[in-house]
Amino acid sequence: MDLTLLPQALVSGVLASGLYALVAVGLALAIGVIGIVNFAHGEFFMVGAFLAYQLFVSFGFDPLLSILFVAPVLFVIGAAIYTSTIRFVLKAPELNQMLLTFGIGIILQNLALMIWGGDPRSIGGVPYRAMGVQVGGVSVGLVPLGSFVISVLLVGGLYLVLARTPLGRAMRAVAQNRVGAGLVGLEVNRVYLVAFGLSALLAGIGGVMIAVIQSPTPTVGLAYTLKAFAIVVLAGLGNVRGIVSAAIVVALAESLVATLVPNGDALRNAVFFALILGTLVYRSWRKA
Amino acid sequence: MKKLFAVLFAAAVGLAFAQPVTIGILSPLTGGAAGTGQAQRAGFELALKEINEAGGVLGQPLRIVIEDDRADPATAVAAFEKLMTEDGVEFIAGGFSSGATLALVESFRTFQPIVSWIGGASSGIGNDDFEGIEELLGEEEWFFHIHPWDYQNVEATFGFIRDLGVQSVAVLHEDGAFGTPGAAGLEAGVEAMGIDVALREAFTSTLTGGTGDFRATLSKVGAANPDMLYWIGYDSDAQPLSSQLKELGVAPKYVFGAPPGWPTGIEQAPEMECVMGLIGYLPNLPNPEAVAFAEAYRAMHGTYPDNYMAALAYTQLWSYADAINAAGTTDQAAVIEKLKTMTFRSPMGEWSFKPSTIAKHQGFGADMWLVFQFQNGVREIVWPADRATAPLAACR
Repeated sequence: MDLTLLPQALVSGVLASGLYALVAVGLALAIGVIGIVNFAHGEFFMVGAFLAYQLFVSFGFDPLLSILFVAPVLFVIGAAIYTSTIRFVLKAPELNQMLLTFGIGIILQNLALMIWGGDPRSIGGVPYRAMGVQVGGVSVGLVPLGSFVISVLLVGGLYLVLARTPLGRAMRAVAQNRVGAGLVGLEVNRVYLVAFGLSALLAGIGGVMIAVIQSPTPTVGLAYTLKAFAIVVLAGLGNVRGIVSAAIVVALAESLVATLVPNGDALRNAVFFALILGTLVYRSWRKA
Repeated sequence: MKKLFAVLFAAAVGLAFAQPVTIGILSPLTGGAAGTGQAQRAGFELALKEINEAGGVLGQPLRIVIEDDRADPATAVAAFEKLMTEDGVEFIAGGFSSGATLALVESFRTFQPIVSWIGGASSGIGNDDFEGIEELLGEEEWFFHIHPWDYQNVEATFGFIRDLGVQSVAVLHEDGAFGTPGAAGLEAGVEAMGIDVALREAFTSTLTGGTGDFRATLSKVGAANPDMLYWIGYDSDAQPLSSQLKELGVAPKYVFGAPPGWPTGIEQAPEMECVMGLIGYLPNLPNPEAVAFAEAYRAMHGTYPDNYMAALAYTQLWSYADAINAAGTTDQAAVIEKLKTMTFRSPMGEWSFKPSTIAKHQGFGADMWLVFQFQNGVREIVWPADRATAPLAACR
């Protein structure tokens, strides 16, 4: 165990939490407001990554600039999927809802495979991807820092929307009591549509960031869907406010284990499963 | 009347013999390894076209049935059993993931078709705690392995590493059936050369559920300060590993990667400059068979092959066609005999099956591999010297 690596592990963990939070907050929105467990969330993330890649290849768009295009497109895709499928299963058993979103995810994966093929795709010339600033022996990468800042702004913005705007109040009202909100004149379906669109938008922006960091494939979303579920469980289902702290816990735990334990990177998935298990056991024990 | 029966009988027998030969193929067409699977499919399609234009197999057009195994053990077993029971094939080709191949071992034994395999590099030689595909299947008469074993993969680089004069190596490897035995073999071989293995660490590949954040592991590489970083993983790990090395300021003298392929477009990334890798085939190889294959591939698919698995798939299908035609029958013993004794053509040059450490029928060995280096957006072959397209660039 090399403790000199601890400062780097802490910084890397905190910076990684930004992206985790961004992906998880979209999932929490879908679960919290609409009450739907969206297994296709990672595929929205993947579509965002491939759109950024395509904009780079076709028009030379810098990936970060492409957020301006990808975000509205993902909102429209999310809204279209809600309108054409999700809204019909809102009263169906949860298993049916999960099967539907799982199916949507498989369709999106295979569409990506048809369009972009199975090869990992790399956005070649991103000049800032490998840049880092050394601060007291600790490297702060520009991309992790940038994605952390963007994530904090977006999650903070979403929080403000939920807390301070009529749309946010409507979302909270619908989340608390769908029937009651309808009775007082709220357009429940429209609120759901906006919430699902926003959820897809946030995942898509996460995907743009991953297109810079990694080489996207049609299955790139899976790892982040699993992380997002872990964070949502840790924060409490539908609790948007707890997402940031839960994301920091997951990312820091992973980074510390990966750094301080021999072969620790290979234990990352074990770390978040342990966190999920521990949270569920703790919650059931507290209720008892 | 008797004459009519005789004619009908002869026609029926003729029709029976006229059935086209069908080869069943398992390949990861979707899922995380789809890049490799799609490359294999492109190679099979080109070989199929050429074989049938050249007269087919036993006078009939050759047929192939490709099943998607997703590089997933359960899917691979189901797909194989479908090929054997529903499609009734007698010859199996394709193959990629070691994990999926290990799961197929018992099914192969149950049905015992002729299996010619271009993936599944996992051997276990040099790793006492692990039984790989070579131990489990290598001695079977009906099993033909074309891709080098993992110890042959790393053997290929020993001479190169010795030539570089490095004193210490850090080994990173994905934690599955591909990377783990390969890293064990590499560590043993490097230590036998008197080179220090400063660090050996496993990581979760982005192909198998990792997020591509390798900073923790790369920090350990920085602390170990080796001359060379040697990583064994998958295509999708290449980008994050290379860029995060630079971001963290970790700068070993040499960075060497051994994934089965490299992502499309990665050569344009500035951080890839000087990174080296192992590859079985590149379109810029100068030998005539390689040039012919590259041009035929481009004519059919619109681009040059980007993944050496296309060349291996092409090679594999042609070897089946040549062996069955030479045998003049699909009889298993006759085809096995031809596969064992014939010499075949390939974009990598002439080859034949020979024994490896355990396996009776091993196609390519360490000699198939070339070392390339990213230089100004091009993969230049830098080793062995007699096949080099450019000298090794000194970057650090």
